[in-house]
Amino acid sequence: MAQTKTRNLTFVQAINEGIRQELERDPNVIVMGVDVAGAAGKADQGFIDHFGGSFGMTKGLIQKFGPERILDTPIAENGFIGAGVGAAATGLRPLVDLMFAGFVGVAGDQIFNNAAKMHYMFGGKVKIPLTIQCQTSAGHGSAAQHSETLYALFTHMPGLKCVVPSDPYTAKGLEIAAIRDDDPVIIFQSITLMGMNFDVNVPEEPYTLPIGKARIVKEGTDVTLIGIGLTTQICLQAAKQLEKQGYSAEVVDLLSLSPLDEEAILESVRKTRKIVITDEDYPRCSVSSDISALVAEQAFDILDAPPVRVTAPHASVPYSPVLEEAYLISETKVLQAAMSLLE
Amino acid sequence: MATQTEQQVRKLTYVQAFNEVLAQEMERDENVIVIGEDVAGGGGKEGFEEAWGGPFKLTQGLYKKFGPTRILDTPIAENGFIGAAVGAAATGLRPVADLMFVGFIGVCGDQIFNNAAKMHYMFGGKVKLPLTIITATGAGVGSAAQHSESLYSMFAHMPGLKCVVPSNPYNAKGLMAAAIRDDDPVIVFNHKLLMGGIGGGQHVPKDPYIVPIGKANVSREGTDVTLVGIGYTTYQCLQAADELEQQGYSVEVIDLLSVSPMDDEAILNSVKKTRKIVIVDEDYPRCSVASDISALVAEQAFDILDAPPKRVMAPHTSVPYSPVLEDLFIPSKERIVEAALEVME
Repeated sequence: MAQTKTRNLTFVQAINEGIRQELERDPNVIVMGVDVAGAAGKADQGFIDHFGGSFGMTKGLIQKFGPERILDTPIAENGFIGAGVGAAATGLRPLVDLMFAGFVGVAGDQIFNNAAKMHYMFGGKVKIPLTIQCQTSAGHGSAAQHSETLYALFTHMPGLKCVVPSDPYTAKGLEIAAIRDDDPVIIFQSITLMGMNFDVNVPEEPYTLPIGKARIVKEGTDVTLIGIGLTTQICLQAAKQLEKQGYSAEVVDLLSLSPLDEEAILESVRKTRKIVITDEDYPRCSVSSDISALVAEQAFDILDAPPVRVTAPHASVPYSPVLEEAYLISETKVLQAAMSLLE
Repeated sequence: MATQTEQQVRKLTYVQAFNEVLAQEMERDENVIVIGEDVAGGGGKEGFEEAWGGPFKLTQGLYKKFGPTRILDTPIAENGFIGAAVGAAATGLRPVADLMFVGFIGVCGDQIFNNAAKMHYMFGGKVKLPLTIITATGAGVGSAAQHSESLYSMFAHMPGLKCVVPSNPYNAKGLMAAAIRDDDPVIVFNHKLLMGGIGGGQHVPKDPYIVPIGKANVSREGTDVTLVGIGYTTYQCLQAADELEQQGYSVEVIDLLSVSPMDDEAILNSVKKTRKIVIVDEDYPRCSVASDISALVAEQAFDILDAPPKRVMAPHTSVPYSPVLEDLFIPSKERIVEAALEVME
């Protein structure tokens, strides 16, 4: 009997499935973090799996794999990220949930000085197959400290791989790729994507997406739109609007920030000769700066117009809903930026 | 009788200039305090005060003059003492906190990125954070991966922080005075080689003065190519400019001084004149100040540029401990000259 072609999962369901399949496949995979099981230590009171992570990504795992592999931790990121680094150095494949990206400040030493540098400093004799997942994006009234994106901080640091899924399909494939990778990989999961509906097929069988590769989600010839995670979805919406106005936009879904798929960006720009880079992160020393610099330096003679960036302003994320709305990358902003190049 | 010139020249090293401004600001304003590991030295041990004066002697002599209530030795706990400094700044003092090496940011990232950088904004402007953090940067002294980083890009990424990088004794003194007097958190990045005396002494006025935060300096005027330096790389750019001059090229050197806010206008003005730019940055290349500058000129001076912007940088790798590899890691005068010749051809 023919199977249904499209198997729709939410962003969270796809991640949950990827983690569960990897836990089944490899007994060395463990999950650690604040509330990844939920109600730590109160299992005997029936509170087990109360949470399943702040966003439900680890829901159901504690029943299946038990408290030795699904480890609830105290709110002490330096402690449990450090434990994750040590576990990775000594044979396990930990998936550690940092929760919000802005908590990096508490575990920066463990991530930047230990995880990122140990393979190098020990002359390649130690591998760090550690995966850290964290949540990003403004737009949810979570104010300045719980709405950041910050992948630029991690991308700056040699020794870390950084990936940003843009839909349920890429979320599952990148999660599995990260867990199987022998280097530390940071996965940035947009909270906004967790609340969206997707008509995207997510195969049930485990699969990986290669870390370091972008993908073209929409082909076009007039302008290249670069999306990162959530902004890929915004670029796709803007591309539809552009189509209505007779312009053919190509959308490159970056997926991996470090390493960056420079060739995919340059190839698209060679075709369209114009580029709009969209990025939710703060603009200074950012991935969008890197891409703008890349095309300026490597495709100078090909560009018809200067690169254009659509980014957050250089300001903390506002709590006021009116200001937060103005802060966000919108379809309108991307559209305006593209039109400024096309007209 | 001494000539006018001899009277005017008052040579100080980088460390002397820095030390002088700390003393002057502490004399000027009793709210200025210094806090950090070994800023007095021999923390708590009578008779051992001043054993150190900071790992780079920046604070030497201050303890004797201002005593233990204003020069505070702390345990090795950056989250604790940077946090204390944030709180002190929020409640009326003007603390100078010494983070020692910039790579220690990971231990106190929450205090700097989530507290210092955001409190003025989150409290609706009702709190000011006149905090200065000084920190040592740079490879080239065999300190390996965790004690040789630059990392100012990470701080520049974060809204709410001002970031300055002195390049010589004169601007070290002026920027430090500006940082202490500023009502926002300012991070001052001191390169180890500059503190070690590279570039030599320089005329530094005795009277307190300010070098404004957010302004670049044209260290050398020229017409054929713009070299942008940051801290120690400004020194290297000036060396490269000498060599290029001998080959008949007129080189302009921009000393960035402030990486946040960045003086976009100074960079663009220079590029409008030379039409070519080489950016020299010792920090890791991804998501860096150098990327920002390359993007800036591409976006704002696209039609003016005669050649693509060029970056001379460290590679995307940790700082090697092997002296041979460490030598290759740091942007060198030779690489700057080569890059400049490439864009001028």
